[in-house]
Amino acid sequence: MRYLLNIELKKMIHYRTFWVVSGLYFFLLIIWSASGMEFLKWLAGFFDVFGQRININRVPIYHFPDIWQNLFWGAGFLKMGLAIMVVISVTNEYSYRTIRQNIIDGLSRENFILSKILANLLWSLVSVVIVFFIALIAGLIYSPQYEFPYSLTGLDFLFTYFLEIFSFLSFSLMISMLIKRSGLTIILLIHSYLIELIIKANVDNYFPSIIPYFPLESISSLVPFPYRRYVFQEIRDYITVESVVLALIWIVVFNYLAYLTLKKRDI
Amino acid sequence: MERVLKINKLTKKFGRLCAVNELELEVMKGQVFGILGPNGSGKTTTLGMLMGVILPTSGDYSWMGEPPTHTIRRKIGAVLEHPIFYPYLSGQKNLELMAIIKQAPVENIPKVLDLVGLTDRKEDKYKNYSLGMKQRLAIATALVNDPIVLILDEPTNGLDPMGIAQIRDIIKKIALSGKTIILASHLLDEVEKICTHFAILMKGNKVYDGAMGDISRSEEVVTITAPQENVGTYLEKFKGTISVQKDDHNYLVKLKPGFSSDELNRFLVENGVFVSQLSTKKKSLEKQFLEILAENK
Repeated sequence: MRYLLNIELKKMIHYRTFWVVSGLYFFLLIIWSASGMEFLKWLAGFFDVFGQRININRVPIYHFPDIWQNLFWGAGFLKMGLAIMVVISVTNEYSYRTIRQNIIDGLSRENFILSKILANLLWSLVSVVIVFFIALIAGLIYSPQYEFPYSLTGLDFLFTYFLEIFSFLSFSLMISMLIKRSGLTIILLIHSYLIELIIKANVDNYFPSIIPYFPLESISSLVPFPYRRYVFQEIRDYITVESVVLALIWIVVFNYLAYLTLKKRDI
Repeated sequence: MERVLKINKLTKKFGRLCAVNELELEVMKGQVFGILGPNGSGKTTTLGMLMGVILPTSGDYSWMGEPPTHTIRRKIGAVLEHPIFYPYLSGQKNLELMAIIKQAPVENIPKVLDLVGLTDRKEDKYKNYSLGMKQRLAIATALVNDPIVLILDEPTNGLDPMGIAQIRDIIKKIALSGKTIILASHLLDEVEKICTHFAILMKGNKVYDGAMGDISRSEEVVTITAPQENVGTYLEKFKGTISVQKDDHNYLVKLKPGFSSDELNRFLVENGVFVSQLSTKKKSLEKQFLEILAENK
């Protein structure tokens, strides 16, 4: 394990594009997660015209325990940035043909995929840790009072957020392995939501019951949309076993298909 | 002698095209084995299969008597087609990465860099290397795990004469250290200068396989210059002679297999004929190669 992760890190650590893309992602992740209150203030400015100021402190988005689901849901938006880095790291191996040399040098095909999967796990883990600390700090700053362990309710979304990132990275690993070209893969990745939306819209007329099982749909349902609660609507503020099981199945499918394409291929 | 490689009916089909057809080959320890063949004869495909990157359609092979696995590949150093490296890494960093993959000691890196003469440029990015340096770095990575077998595929392709000479010197140095080398090439001259054994592939079929000495010994042509008039008759009397040709002042004597020029010389001396020049010319590999190819058309 250490051996395979070591190989992957050695490839990336001196690669400038890696630092630019991942740096941008982690930077955005921090800014995005930390600036919720500033955004609310900015938003409140618009409503000033009606002669009545919204008291943003009454919208408790950064209060414990709401903050966990709010931030983990919001952070999920940025996973595309991380996915693009994964695409680059995989398709580079094909365009430089280094995947061939890696195998010649004594990596097995399983090893190669496993090293990419381990790296994906690492990036997902780093994302989780970053969001966790920002949520913790922001919660301590903005919450009027805290009461542990009550303040930590909803922290379990940390786990589903991790699954969300990792399953999406697994998805990008799979399509990178299938397509091999960076440009095409990134375009497909960006359009994948749109493509799934079109399919879902068509399926909706015939088999609406299968829609929750679609890959991207099930990835996004891991951390459900929380903000509706501030307009007094019901939300799902707990993790369902089905969503976790479904995500785990997709993770296995994505990674296994990635492995299968490599196993069956001359490189 | 220890067997390093055994190939058994190895076949690769790309759709309808048969790139390698039931290839059988054996390489023993210490041999410098040349795989010859025109472009597209299946050399690289064969080596690709031996290194696990191309999946054989049928047949199998074994390295050092063991079935092929990725761990056995770590004991082999191979460069196929052209050097492959991470362009954004320096030569040194590329070597470190390969050393990790091959689980080779990092202390080997300065040694191999020194052997290929890249120590001064090791911190430069790979993408800024010249073709000759890239080829040399490729040989360095192949050597970093101190392999039992070294596989080189067209190592001098696209190099200038100086680069070719450098690579050739390096290969000779490595061969002297007792390593088994498998060298695929279409440059006959190169194979003739370096190899001890060779095989010829054509359209995926093996058409010849043997030691370099064998093929050279098969027919020897001796050029003789002698002041005496009656040399010709004596030359024809020698029991090893196939034919005698006169060409200006020289006689070209073709000898039967198993006879050599020193026996001919002794015979002439015993008969009172003294030559002023005697030289043997072995049939060049190129000529024989073309003959073999022509036979198999």
